[in-house]
Amino acid sequence: MTVALEVRNLVKKFGGLVATNDLSFDLAEGESLGLIGPNGAGKTTVFSQVMGELRQTSGTIKLFGTEISGLSTAQRIARGVSRTYQVPRPFADLSVRENIRVGLMPDSLRAMIFGAADKNREAELAQSIGFSPADLERPASELSMGDLRKLEFARTLATGAKVLLLDEVFAGLTTGEISQIAALIQDLRARGFTFLMVSHDLPAMEPLVDRALAIERGTLLAQGPFAEVLSDAAVRASYLGVA
Amino acid sequence: MDLRPHHFILWGLFIAAMLLMPELVSKGTLRTMIFACYLAMFAISWDILSGRTGYISFGHPFLIGIGAYTTAILTRRYGFPVEASIPIAVVVTMFGGLIVLLPALRIKGSYFALVTLAVMELMLQLIPVVRPDLTAGTRGISRLPALTRGAEDGYYLAVGLMLAIALFAWLLMRTRLGTALWAIGMNEESVRGSGLSTTRLKSFAFLVSAAIAGLAGAFYAHHLGAVTPRSIFDVNLLFQIIVACLLGGQAPFLDPSLAHSSWCFCWRTCVRQSALRWSSYGHFWSQFSLRSRDRAGSLSMR
Amino acid sequence: MMQIIVQGLLLSGLYALIAMGFMLIFSIGRTLNLAYGAYIMVGGYMYFWLSQQLGMPQVIGFLGAVSVGALIGLLKHRLIVKPLKGDAVAVEIATLILALITQFALVLIFGDASKILLPLIPGVVTVAGAQVTYNILAATVMSWIIILALYAFVRGTHTGRAMQAVSMDEKGAAISGIDPDRINMITWGISGALGAAGGVFFASYTQLSPQMWLAPVIISVAIVIVGGIGSIIGTLIVAHIIGFLEITVVAVLAPELRGVLTMVLIIGVLIMRPQGLFGREEH
Repeated sequence: MTVALEVRNLVKKFGGLVATNDLSFDLAEGESLGLIGPNGAGKTTVFSQVMGELRQTSGTIKLFGTEISGLSTAQRIARGVSRTYQVPRPFADLSVRENIRVGLMPDSLRAMIFGAADKNREAELAQSIGFSPADLERPASELSMGDLRKLEFARTLATGAKVLLLDEVFAGLTTGEISQIAALIQDLRARGFTFLMVSHDLPAMEPLVDRALAIERGTLLAQGPFAEVLSDAAVRASYLGVA
Repeated sequence: MDLRPHHFILWGLFIAAMLLMPELVSKGTLRTMIFACYLAMFAISWDILSGRTGYISFGHPFLIGIGAYTTAILTRRYGFPVEASIPIAVVVTMFGGLIVLLPALRIKGSYFALVTLAVMELMLQLIPVVRPDLTAGTRGISRLPALTRGAEDGYYLAVGLMLAIALFAWLLMRTRLGTALWAIGMNEESVRGSGLSTTRLKSFAFLVSAAIAGLAGAFYAHHLGAVTPRSIFDVNLLFQIIVACLLGGQAPFLDPSLAHSSWCFCWRTCVRQSALRWSSYGHFWSQFSLRSRDRAGSLSMR
Repeated sequence: MMQIIVQGLLLSGLYALIAMGFMLIFSIGRTLNLAYGAYIMVGGYMYFWLSQQLGMPQVIGFLGAVSVGALIGLLKHRLIVKPLKGDAVAVEIATLILALITQFALVLIFGDASKILLPLIPGVVTVAGAQVTYNILAATVMSWIIILALYAFVRGTHTGRAMQAVSMDEKGAAISGIDPDRINMITWGISGALGAAGGVFFASYTQLSPQMWLAPVIISVAIVIVGGIGSIIGTLIVAHIIGFLEITVVAVLAPELRGVLTMVLIIGVLIMRPQGLFGREEH
């Protein structure tokens, strides 16, 4: 089994504050890992470091065996890792189709100028995430919160990355939308995608992950099967407030 | 954004009207129309840099001025032929575009606008001081070689140049690159998060914008026959450009992508705001009343 | 040498006054009110019209200028800033266009030619071996009186503290029972009055012309940003740095270079340290 993402001794300090404290974990290819912890535990900070939006203070991050710490965000995405954001950040005046188009674009000026957009692929991606054909031409500014999250997921998928970091994909969605996204994630897992996901909706997350990883103040508390991690004493104390 | 037949018809009519203009209007009006054509070229250039990427440049006359001064100095001081000086002016202006790009890699929004305004003001102050033997100080360089004779030829040159630049910008902005640049203006982080190198995209936009500004600026200098610091590095010129963009973006009958790149762009969020729109009209009218007063010959603008 | 110090102090006081009015607006809502130049122009011309063309007493001219400045400030808040609600770039463009419209209006009314303001108080005095006109001395003293009064107002009165509260956290202030709208209006009014007063002094220091507004606006923006947003002391310090810089350049290098170093300083600081030299970090 290949290791898709290997994080070793990751440390991130903001002045005196230690946001990530000597964190190490592996994510096997095709595996789905749930990252849990209370608010402010440093989950999103881990995502930002993997994507290169924040530089770690020390430690290594390897993607499919290659060190990626020195690469830009665009280069990391080209190597197959991409993320969604807690607060969706769409291109408000662009249509659903054009938002996805930006995700599909290759990072090459020449290809962007002379290559044509793949309209079928755009429509296909939009449909797989639950947009109707009529939604394709709607501007993102008209979408509901749930639709914006779906759009963000679609754009992340469009980058072609096989390792997806999902930050609170279920927040603000209706039950119907949650089951739709969950079904999509299951489908992608079956197709070999690798996931690292953060969610406060533990019941929704449980069937989607193989393992869980609990952190608090950037420090690893426990890792292992989901139920085991949740019953861990330290995790219960920090996360659920149960002694 | 799809093209419909009526867009082609409208544009055909517009171009035909532009080409027939010399038969219809007086020489004086034709001169105003020439200015309008150059203004449209400057506005297209501004649109590519600011309208698309959202980096509002208050220093566009800086780029135009580099183009104008380069060709002026080369032709008048070193005896270059116009065929050589204008291409060189374009290249030099692209270097100027890099100067504007540098702050854009670090700062955004109001601060970027301010830095560009300060760069323009700096040029206004520097030109008279640095090498006055070349720039002739505040008096400026006059008697530049003319490219055309008479208002009519000058008008056809300006219209032709404008249409060529507009077509180029329109074609460029219809590509995926245009979409990506526009996306930067809405949310730069998300463009980066979509796997695109925003630095490269911005550099490209800034260079194209500078090249157009340099080209239009150089031709404009030869049209005027003279360049002075006050006439180029001027807030008023800057605002004529911006207002042209704001009002130009409002032509509702045009296909949005056409309105975007040629009669400038629709800076949608802003133009929707009535206060800004009214102040733009205010600027337009005050400009108009000043011009008509000038025409009446009572006082000169400067 | 003495000449430089005295001249520098005088010019810096003037800059400090102009920057102060600008800072008030910038610290609430981070609005880059580029139409600040309009107050400067209108203040100068109003004073000129009342006291020199109509021959009214100088005090009336000054009060007239200040009240018109305050009125424009209020109108601008009501008609431009509030409708554009926080769209910073739109506000910048709209206000800068407004400044241009004001410039055109003044050209239409008063003509293009620059006007010389009669000195506020005629005569020349020698301070520490340096020749100083009573005019500029009076302008500087008045500037300092206004700055100190403003400082006392912001620190000492309920309204002043409310202004500070709104500038730090508008929502928080609203929850504590302050009406941010009313406070914003007052701030815009005061800012207009300060700008107009600055305009009168500035015009008497240099001259009155329809183009007189841009340089002081850029300089005050620079002073405020370089000094650190919301820091009165930082503003005063940087006003003096720039004032002395200009006077020194004029005296030692060449008068034409006066603005050059100022612009270089502004560009450098904005790029290297956007939070300013004395400001708190912004997120």
